[in-house]
Amino acid sequence: MDVLREAGNLTAATEVKIAAEGVQVYYGDNHAIKDVDVNILDRTVTAFIGPSGCGKSTFLRCLNRMNDTIDICRVEGRITLDGQDIYDRRVDPVQLRARVGMVFQKPNPFPKSIYDNVAYGPKIHGLTRSKAELDEVVEKALRRAALWNEVKDRLQAPGTGLSGGQQQRLCIARAVATAPEVLLMDEPCSALDPIATAQVEELIDELRAQFSVVIVTHSMQQAARVSQKTAFFHLGNLVEYGDTDEIFTNPRDPRTEAYITGRIG
Amino acid sequence: MNNESHILSAFDRDLEGIQALIMKMGGLVETATLSAAEALEMRDTELAEKVRSGDRAVDELEERVDHEAARLIALRSPTASDLRTVLAVMKTAGSLERMGDYAKNIAKRTTLLIDLPQIEGASGTVRRMAVAVEKMLRDALDAFIARDLALAENVRARDHEIDQIYNTLFRALLTHMMEDPRNITACMHLHFVAKNLERMGDHTTTIAEQVIYLITGQMPEEPRAKGDRSSVASLEG
Repeated sequence: MDVLREAGNLTAATEVKIAAEGVQVYYGDNHAIKDVDVNILDRTVTAFIGPSGCGKSTFLRCLNRMNDTIDICRVEGRITLDGQDIYDRRVDPVQLRARVGMVFQKPNPFPKSIYDNVAYGPKIHGLTRSKAELDEVVEKALRRAALWNEVKDRLQAPGTGLSGGQQQRLCIARAVATAPEVLLMDEPCSALDPIATAQVEELIDELRAQFSVVIVTHSMQQAARVSQKTAFFHLGNLVEYGDTDEIFTNPRDPRTEAYITGRIG
Repeated sequence: MNNESHILSAFDRDLEGIQALIMKMGGLVETATLSAAEALEMRDTELAEKVRSGDRAVDELEERVDHEAARLIALRSPTASDLRTVLAVMKTAGSLERMGDYAKNIAKRTTLLIDLPQIEGASGTVRRMAVAVEKMLRDALDAFIARDLALAENVRARDHEIDQIYNTLFRALLTHMMEDPRNITACMHLHFVAKNLERMGDHTTTIAEQVIYLITGQMPEEPRAKGDRSSVASLEG
């Protein structure tokens, strides 16, 4: 057991990728996130768990400034990516989102071909110089998302014609095509069957070799399966953050225990 | 620890169910331990036979615990204290099953000892040992159900007493054998009986440690007091 644990630690980095300090989020008068401090580690999968309305998705959306699009939303505190404040005036949110990609709950492919769905990001960010290079980026992203073999013969078919699980993997391919450093996933498997879920989970595990992945999930078992770190949110507070195996065998806070064991907390 | 109910009440019923099974097992093992020692002291063949045949019920309960625990893990995916409860139940059932075997073995030797010359004082000491083991086991299982950390730690510390009685008996049996070689057969059987009870004390300690793990999430670290010195003992010592 100790040998296994040590082996796990060798592959898990401990450098901080995103640091959040004293983060507060308000929707109008509603105080949705209360003074959250947390470090998101590089090349690590971090799971955010908690009951509906606990603020986990809201907090996730702070990490790439998706909350900017909501007028009544106000974010306070400090969030840094590699030490740089992401809420600094000089930071372009579009550039930020290329570095901190996102996958949503429901697959939302563009009404374009499979190829264009993946090529869109690299094109607008000017990441490739030639068609050949773009082809290569698209293939690599689709391979990473474990979709290439299923779609390689119909890259010009519409992305919306794929099955739900394939669409979600297409969205993941689209997100990884811009070579982000952090991938945020908001319940990426909630619309998927168990096979597609397993494929996405396998992909998440592979992605952590290169990226930092943050996943919001309602499935406790999914959090346990894919993450190395788990953060439990409750009523806007970050109640407990720690190693996933600790959280699921011996949580420190009674609220965490009540939630993960399925008790009325 | 969490004493609140699960939202899914069937989960609570399953968890209570497997714990009730080990309490039932524990009750049978306690009775078998006391009865085996009583049969030895009273030279009661009938009671010894009852203990021997009663062990099957303990084995069957262990199988049921394993089956129910596997089912609970598969269907309920227990976590945190629920997971520790299931793990502690499985380990405890294993210890109780071994203890049942030891009690059965004592009863088997009792049926032989009844036909051999009596060794003065030995069966009385065995009975005292059995009473102490039974009391420890009862407290360990009470600590399990009540999630009583202090009681579990107390049980763990008491294994020492069993070891001391065992050491005393070991020396007495050696002396009897030196005095008269005709005592050797009976003394050898009595020694196995005492050793069985000493091992039962160790299993009870294991159960107490499972209770500590169940409550705290950590196995106790500091080594407990070692009272069994017979492995290095001699008549001169």
